[in-house]
Amino acid sequence: MKFSARWITATALAAASFAATAADPIKIGVSGPFTGGSSSMGVSMRDGVRLAAQEINKNGGVLGRQILLVERDDEAKNERGVQIAQELINREKVVATVGFINTGVALAAQRFYQDAKIPVMNNVATGSVITQQFKDAPDNYVFRNAAHDSIQAPMIVEEAITRRGFKKVAILADSTNYGQLGRADLEKALELKGVKPVAVEKFNIKDVDMTAQLLKAKEAGAEAILTYGIGPELAQIANGMTKLGWKVPMVGSWTLSMANYIDNAGPGGEGARMPQTFIQEPTTPKRQSFIINYLKTFNPKNARIDSPVSAAQGYDSVYLLAAAIKQAGSTEGPKVKAALEDLKAPVEGVVTTYSKPFSKGDHEAITANIPVFGEVKGQRVVYAYPDDFKKASEVRVKDPNAKGALTATKK
Amino acid sequence: MQILTQLIYSGIALGMIYAVIAFGYQLTFATSDTLNFGQGDALMLGALVGLTLVGLGLNYWLMIPLVCVFGALQGAVVERIGVRPAIKIKSEFGWIMSTIALGIIFKNVAENVWGRDDLKFPSPLPESPLKFLGANVLPMEILVVVGALLMMLAVEFFNRKTIYGKAVVATFNDRDAAKLMGINTGLVITFSYALSSLTAAFAGVLIAPLTLTGATMGAVLGLKAFAVAIIGGLTSGMGIVVGGIILGIAETTTGFYLSTGYKDVPGLVLLLIVLAFKPAGLFGKTAIKKV
Repeated sequence: MKFSARWITATALAAASFAATAADPIKIGVSGPFTGGSSSMGVSMRDGVRLAAQEINKNGGVLGRQILLVERDDEAKNERGVQIAQELINREKVVATVGFINTGVALAAQRFYQDAKIPVMNNVATGSVITQQFKDAPDNYVFRNAAHDSIQAPMIVEEAITRRGFKKVAILADSTNYGQLGRADLEKALELKGVKPVAVEKFNIKDVDMTAQLLKAKEAGAEAILTYGIGPELAQIANGMTKLGWKVPMVGSWTLSMANYIDNAGPGGEGARMPQTFIQEPTTPKRQSFIINYLKTFNPKNARIDSPVSAAQGYDSVYLLAAAIKQAGSTEGPKVKAALEDLKAPVEGVVTTYSKPFSKGDHEAITANIPVFGEVKGQRVVYAYPDDFKKASEVRVKDPNAKGALTATKK
Repeated sequence: MQILTQLIYSGIALGMIYAVIAFGYQLTFATSDTLNFGQGDALMLGALVGLTLVGLGLNYWLMIPLVCVFGALQGAVVERIGVRPAIKIKSEFGWIMSTIALGIIFKNVAENVWGRDDLKFPSPLPESPLKFLGANVLPMEILVVVGALLMMLAVEFFNRKTIYGKAVVATFNDRDAAKLMGINTGLVITFSYALSSLTAAFAGVLIAPLTLTGATMGAVLGLKAFAVAIIGGLTSGMGIVVGGIILGIAETTTGFYLSTGYKDVPGLVLLLIVLAFKPAGLFGKTAIKKV
């Protein structure tokens, strides 16, 4: 008995001294759907994250320690996301987590990080409420470097109503949190323009027939379709239009750039437009080296990143976190969070150069002036407007006063 | 009017998709009073194997017989592993769990082999719609309807006119008596499972160009098809077709006239009504179970 007690003490001491050595890695959790309908976003995000971590580790890591990624597949399921959050926090003891593609998963899982005082960087999920979930708490641990829906919805409406002059539009959104929150934002943005959608329709994940939804939009005289959904079902909408022999432009959230939309819709999917924070074009030296390294490391089909936006945002999210950990000189959650809210040195990313991306009351790194419009053309996403392409080398930086975002309200 | 025609066309096409899958439920129920709950997964495997074969450069039409052979083998495996032990010990419910379990295993295998992303199945027919009585139909939809009907007719013909088919019918009517008459009922049941998975695999390659192809495609379709089988009656091939068309048209018309948010409701309400008033299904024969 005495022996075993001493043995335990010895082991505990050894473990403690081991933990104190500077060499053990900084664990960062990565949670996203690497399989299923949103996997083209999840995998691209993960690859972007891996690329950034590799580069940082090659250059000596952060605080002299290497970054170790703990990747988990949340399968776009809320309950899986919750399990993973608990595992990453309690068992893996991560310093921070990046990821979340699906708004529903983010909302379900991030409360555990909030309670554990561990920062979360949402690098893809766009639901407006994500960063507002704990707005009233004394400390909010939820950050985001993706274009949220209160930016995207007005951009979509601006494009459809103002720039292209459509007067009658129909909204087609899926029945998930993502689709329905997005639909609400679209309706709000349309209302600000004094436009009422002629039809608002819903569809389920895995629906194979969109005839009813499209006929309703057609009968109501819609001149354009505004979408909020993910790749496979968006492709079914495009295919459904081909079938009905009724072709109107599709303008929708950034998911219209997903590879599984472009591939499954084929020629019928051409011309769809969506807001993008990043388009796979080497318009700055940073973007060029990112694209070259990404293609070299992961070798995607046809030299096309499945979801360039997710890859770029995933990559940037790690650099933002690394900068914060470096500035904090510590991996403790509250200190990292404080550093994120007050980043001293600008961080050069792929999407933009982040100078003071976050503050105490503002956890959104992307503002309405940053995204541009992309268009599906020749089976890839290109700049919809040549002017944007010409000016792409001027990096658009965060402008907290940028107009065009809906005022976010907590629901 | 044109709208209604279009809705009915799409409803029929959708309904026939459900019906071809539901037909497989009917086949095994007819011989062994058991169902293959992995029917949706058999469909998915058929579609994915077909996709791989087409990817290897095989012609769509030449690929179909190969996929059918694969489906038949897969069905026989399901019966041998999952169903036979349960029938042997006269377990009432063992086969339910084992066919569901096998379905999940097949799905997981497919996820590892083909990934979980939805893939595009190249259409063997032109993808531009045809005008027919003022509404649009895709050539592929016509192929699904025709293919499904032909397949069902072939199976019905087999059951009614050939000696082997008579053995199947006899096994359904009274398994023990059939056995005493020298029919190898075990083999008949294996055969019916093979046939049922064959039809599912065939249905898979038939509908894949219309739906998307992926490891998860079977789940929703298999469930809807089950509803069709209940509505139409598990003992009637005719009932399956009618049930499928009813459910398909109910979905598209409710989606248009009521709300797309409620499009799955009427079909399921119908299911409840049928179960309450005609438990054997609209066309099913009411069987008296002697205890």
